[in-house]
Amino acid sequence: MEPPEVATELYVLLSAILFILGTLGVLLRRNAILIFMSVELMLNAANLALAAFARQWGNLDGQLLVFFVMTIAAAEVAVGLALIVAIFRTKKSTDIDDLHLFKN
Amino acid sequence: MELTLFIIVGAIAVVTAVMMLISENAVHSALFLVLNFACIAFFFLMLSGAFLAMVQITVYAGAIMVLFLFVIMLLGAERLRPEQNPRFPWMVPAAIALALIFLVTVSLAIIRGEVGASSRQIEQPYVRAVNAVDQLEAVDVYLDGALIAENLVYGEASAFTPWERGRYDITLYPAGADPVAEEPLATAKVDLNRGEAISFTALGTRADPLLVVADEDLRGTDRSDALRVTVVNGVRSVERIDVVRGTDPVASEILIDDLPYGAASRPVLITGGTTDLSVFSDGVRRDRLMTFSDRTLTPEQGHLWVFTTRARPDNSFDNVFLSLESNALPSFGGPTSIGLTLFARYILPMQMVAVVLLVAMIGTIIFTRDMLAPRRVFVRRLANPPAELQAPIAPEAASRSSLEG
Repeated sequence: MEPPEVATELYVLLSAILFILGTLGVLLRRNAILIFMSVELMLNAANLALAAFARQWGNLDGQLLVFFVMTIAAAEVAVGLALIVAIFRTKKSTDIDDLHLFKN
Repeated sequence: MELTLFIIVGAIAVVTAVMMLISENAVHSALFLVLNFACIAFFFLMLSGAFLAMVQITVYAGAIMVLFLFVIMLLGAERLRPEQNPRFPWMVPAAIALALIFLVTVSLAIIRGEVGASSRQIEQPYVRAVNAVDQLEAVDVYLDGALIAENLVYGEASAFTPWERGRYDITLYPAGADPVAEEPLATAKVDLNRGEAISFTALGTRADPLLVVADEDLRGTDRSDALRVTVVNGVRSVERIDVVRGTDPVASEILIDDLPYGAASRPVLITGGTTDLSVFSDGVRRDRLMTFSDRTLTPEQGHLWVFTTRARPDNSFDNVFLSLESNALPSFGGPTSIGLTLFARYILPMQMVAVVLLVAMIGTIIFTRDMLAPRRVFVRRLANPPAELQAPIAPEAASRSSLEG
């Protein structure tokens, strides 16, 4: 099989860029739902790198790991959104700056 | 072409990620994220992960994002509050600086070649053993001392086993023999390269056995009516054989030409269907050695044909045609190979993930349940008022029900 046209390094670079964007979203946005979406973006960036390395080594284990990450992400989203709903009921807001329980 | 597609879709992925971050409407953010997930699914396709791409679309872009949109609309939180008076004003420059440092580090590592993207190893080779040794009912076959076929009876093949690449010694023993103490019946050397499917075919007689390395090609074909055939010649009485389709030596289609004894042909792609097969001794194709009528050739399989003879007690010979069929190997990243790996090597992590999903389900119920509990108590009280609340209704109970209702 001839070497692929797109090198693994490019996939890793793209994955790093998407991961950084996700991190920036987690750090800079104040809305809990948006922070959750940014976490999903980070997980997807990691998945992309895993799939790229799976092709690199001709080994399916990387793709299996992507599969497991997707499953865990589904569970995490369900619990996280339930948390957000519960918080919204008490605080009437999804802004994480409103979540300080101690007085200033 | 591939690089162009990568750049275009990669740019779309980055732009959608940025738009998701800066969008003022949570619904728009979610829709940009769906587009981003679709780009990732496209990359999975380019990385030969067809199954992953499908799961990415259905699970991520489908189920998870529907959940997000559902919660956003349920809470009525689609209008995001503009970010005013951040509690940590130093956080924005710090986050951007950290992100830039990380990006520069990754880029430097990639440019200096420290990602370890040098060695490529696409598919493991597969090996199996075939016993066609006359007067030897069962054999053991070892590959550098590791057993690959035990007690293999005549005319049978062991299952294809994935093996590491490298150079190996194959040894053939009678069944049950001790490989350390006894001399092997036959030996051969083989180089296992990636993507190969090798059948170690034992031929000959007990007195003069022979190991033939037949390199089959079990990758899928792009023709749905064709199959790949590898032929091993085990006919000792003639120098070379020809294998033709049909019985007429002149008008028939020659499948294999000039195959010497103890050799394996290259895999040839032939059309499937029901057909007659004849084996001629080489040359003018006058001497028909064997004819096998109405053989069914199933398309999209790999066949290993072994033509050999078997001695009868009265010193005459039977013609033997062993046709060993195997399905094409599952392709890298396809659902079959993922499923096989999942259920062969990852069954325990799979169970653990199932437990995690169950815990998540229970957790979701517990987190959202506490708001429902007081209302249920209240309803029960009204339906079944305790003795002190029976008529006349206490004034405080009446005022509470009017408050709640």
